[in-house]
Amino acid sequence: MVAILTTAFTLACVGVFLLVYVNLRTAAGSLQDDVKIMVYLDDRLSADSVAEVEQHLRSDRAVASLLFISKEQALGEFKAQFPSESHLLEGLGQNPLPASFVVALSPLFHSPDAIKRWAERMRQVGGVSKVDYNQDWIDALATVIRSIELVAIGIGVILSAAAVTIIANTIRLTLFARRDEIAILRLIGATSSFIRVPYLLEGAVLGALGSALSLVMLKCMYELFRQQMRTMGRFAGLDNLIAFFPPSVCLALIAVGMGLGVAGSFVSMRRFGGAKA
Amino acid sequence: MIQLIHVSKRYDQRLALSDVTFEIGKGEFVLLMGPSGAGKSTLLRMLIGAERPDEGQIFVQQKNVTTLKPSDIPYLRRKVGTVFQDFRLLPKKSVFDNVALPLLVQGTSPADIRRKVTEALRAVGVEHKRDQLPAGLSTGEQQRVCIARAIVNGPVVLLADEPTGNLDPALTSEIIELFKLINARGTTVVVATHDPLVMAQVNRRVLTLSQGRLLPEQRVMG
Repeated sequence: MVAILTTAFTLACVGVFLLVYVNLRTAAGSLQDDVKIMVYLDDRLSADSVAEVEQHLRSDRAVASLLFISKEQALGEFKAQFPSESHLLEGLGQNPLPASFVVALSPLFHSPDAIKRWAERMRQVGGVSKVDYNQDWIDALATVIRSIELVAIGIGVILSAAAVTIIANTIRLTLFARRDEIAILRLIGATSSFIRVPYLLEGAVLGALGSALSLVMLKCMYELFRQQMRTMGRFAGLDNLIAFFPPSVCLALIAVGMGLGVAGSFVSMRRFGGAKA
Repeated sequence: MIQLIHVSKRYDQRLALSDVTFEIGKGEFVLLMGPSGAGKSTLLRMLIGAERPDEGQIFVQQKNVTTLKPSDIPYLRRKVGTVFQDFRLLPKKSVFDNVALPLLVQGTSPADIRRKVTEALRAVGVEHKRDQLPAGLSTGEQQRVCIARAIVNGPVVLLADEPTGNLDPALTSEIIELFKLINARGTTVVVATHDPLVMAQVNRRVLTLSQGRLLPEQRVMG
């Protein structure tokens, strides 16, 4: 029981971090989804040529969605967003703002390199005067995501190793307590697998129960956290943005716990040497 | 059945066995005599692959034990029953479960286990104690249970290491009679002992070890 609880606490630490990571990753991913690329068109472009560019964009498998903004719409938006500055454009006599397409790329093309390559490619298309996107923002976001992933992997590995060590020590204590029994089994002709399988199963059960318990603990903490957020006016509404692991991930985590348990048993049996006869 | 050819074994600087050569035929009853530290237990442990000699060859049923892979040793031990001075029974298991262990590790069916364990317990005279824990048995009964466990899967050889070391003379006689009975059914029996009472009761071949060396053979008339 102590071993299950200790394993559960260790795996809960992994789980807390994993939950934070998954939510941050989702948030970063949705920010990436929001990245829009502006494809500005040449001012002298005829309506047919605009349609050609549009057709070119629509046939591009990297393009997820497309929105055309005419010169007039661009001017209207400018005036709506900067009413105090609108007189600056009136002095020019004609509308200086170009027509454009606002492009959102499909998820497969969200990496900074892919966006950069796509923008370069679009600049070569006839009728396109400029392709613009916030490269610094995208690079910074990618760096943040990479950092989160690296820290997650690092902490995950350390805490998983801790879980394996805890389970290994528990199994080793069991092996030590049963060393006479193991020695007798060897003397009467038990094979190594006959002796090892029960301990591997014990490790698997320990790991699975520890993992399941850690998920229960996490779920409780998660609900408490959401409740706290709801009651605090400043964060009201944010509680809907954080999510718990879906059932498939929960099952996968229990399987991982089971795997760590088996690994722990294996390690302890190797060190113990199987109570040689 | 059992053959040792120029077997030697050292533990650090101490010589446990030195150039030991002998042969034991099928169905023989052999006493391995010698004082404590003469090398008797080392020799028996070698016969079940628990120790490897530094030199020489050991054959049990034509199998070279010295070159057996670790994964093959359990299968050798299933053919060789072992009886210990300290019984080595599992304290939390009943007499029945203790005797059933060798069959359990071989994957014998529950029905066969019930039949064979009952036969073995009957053969050693402790059938009525089948549900008791070892702690509730006398030392003589515990040794009988240990013998039942050693013979339950019909081994070709029975090795006993000081089987009467913890028994009084009356119980010693009973256990020796039991070994004779098992031997009479065709099992090769090797009993390692330093107890002269055992030697006096067994009119069989005697191999004597002294400081790891095998002395010339003698025959004792009981």
